[in-house]
Amino acid sequence: MNALPIDLDLAWESLPALFDGLMVTVFLTALPLIIGLALAFPICFARMSPRRALALPAEIFVVFFRGAPLLILLYLVYYGLGQIEALRNGPFWIVFGSPFGCAIVALSLNHAAYMVEVLRGSLLAVPHGIVEASEALGITRRNIFLWVRMPLALRYGLKAYQNEVVSFVKGTAIVSVVTITDLMAVANSIFEQTYDPFTPILCAAAFYWAFVNLIRVGFTVWGRWLSRHNAEDAPLAIPAGQALQGLAGRAKVTP
Amino acid sequence: MTNLSLADLAGYLRQLGEGALITLELFFASFALAFVLGVLIGVATLSRSRLVRAAWRVYASIFMGVPSLLVIFLIFYGGSAMLAAVLGEFGARIDISPFGAGVAALGIVYSAYVAELVRGAIENLPKGQFEGARALAIPPFIMWGRVILPQVMRLALPGLVNVWSFMLKETPLVSLAGLQDLVAAAKIAAGATKEPFIFFVATALVFIAFSAASLWLANRLEERLDRGQRRAPVRSPAQAEA
Repeated sequence: MNALPIDLDLAWESLPALFDGLMVTVFLTALPLIIGLALAFPICFARMSPRRALALPAEIFVVFFRGAPLLILLYLVYYGLGQIEALRNGPFWIVFGSPFGCAIVALSLNHAAYMVEVLRGSLLAVPHGIVEASEALGITRRNIFLWVRMPLALRYGLKAYQNEVVSFVKGTAIVSVVTITDLMAVANSIFEQTYDPFTPILCAAAFYWAFVNLIRVGFTVWGRWLSRHNAEDAPLAIPAGQALQGLAGRAKVTP
Repeated sequence: MTNLSLADLAGYLRQLGEGALITLELFFASFALAFVLGVLIGVATLSRSRLVRAAWRVYASIFMGVPSLLVIFLIFYGGSAMLAAVLGEFGARIDISPFGAGVAALGIVYSAYVAELVRGAIENLPKGQFEGARALAIPPFIMWGRVILPQVMRLALPGLVNVWSFMLKETPLVSLAGLQDLVAAAKIAAGATKEPFIFFVATALVFIAFSAASLWLANRLEERLDRGQRRAPVRSPAQAEA
């Protein structure tokens, strides 16, 4: 028996197909991340509004789309929305009629609900005194938000954002249930052709692992860049001895 | 509008109820496995040995960097071969059920998260707790069981609640390996009745209700575990007014 459960020839042959699958996964990550973030801002403002009529629907949105498992959301959008007559005849059927459109809608809604909470937590973490001081200086509300609250909130919330993005990437693995051939689906179809239970899935695992860790590294670099102004006391995470190294070689980043 | 008769509805509800029980069993079994494995791994990997630490980093990196669905498929498809490799002839005869594969996969994946929490909590404990136990000549086993871990649980509880609710939302994935759980039952009912909207929304609400109930319980538990930490409430004037 072969000690290594991986068939190297099969792995080499299936690389192009797996890479195509990875591209689909990347696409299904990137687009919902953008749409979800764009949706999260208005919903977050509504959620934080003192007016009950605005806050309550936003809260219900968050509870539903955060609490429901992604698989059920996907089924709901893919199978459930087709029931609605008006939607089937309306112009949006281009989106809801295709598996891709459904997956993107479900993933975006889910991501938006999580991001509302991330945003809200980060915005609430900004010390109130700073906002009051900015108001006292006569800075307009828009500018306070853009140049005072958001930059600070971004620093407070970066870790939570990273966690959400990483778990989101892993969540996209379910889109194969609506016939999209993402990385997971490609690995599954290779398994079904060859009955090799290890090679395709472990190769897909390597791709996922690389993608997730690339995102982690990206966030680490972004976080370093955001806190470059206090590089001396940045070593919150870095032990004192490595602080100098960290300053010298900022490009050297481990996940 | 709806084409459901009352008798049909009752039949589907019974199926959904059975599915929900399987989902619950799967969830509790996987969480228990993740918890026990996680605590053991968390305590074991605190050792100073470089090898152990390196092994922990690899383990955590792999299972935190890969979708749970992939691990479920890996164990479901490849589990028999793995068992055969480890246990020999005897292992090859064990059939992997979707339920077993799901429990093993979710348990292994989330044990990494639990271990991370436990490690963080142990490292945050004051050194004096260990030194005190040693000075009193408390045997290590009792020290871990009666002194360290109860405090660790208090510190790790918020994180464990997170893992709990995250894991709950991943249990439906096992239906993709063929487990007849709540989601599979909902899918069958939705297909047969042509009423997918109602069934999927209802299923989603079951999950939301369960996670809300468990959050409420977790808050009670947190209050209870914190009872040794509470100080007499100091009323500041501002709070008294509010």
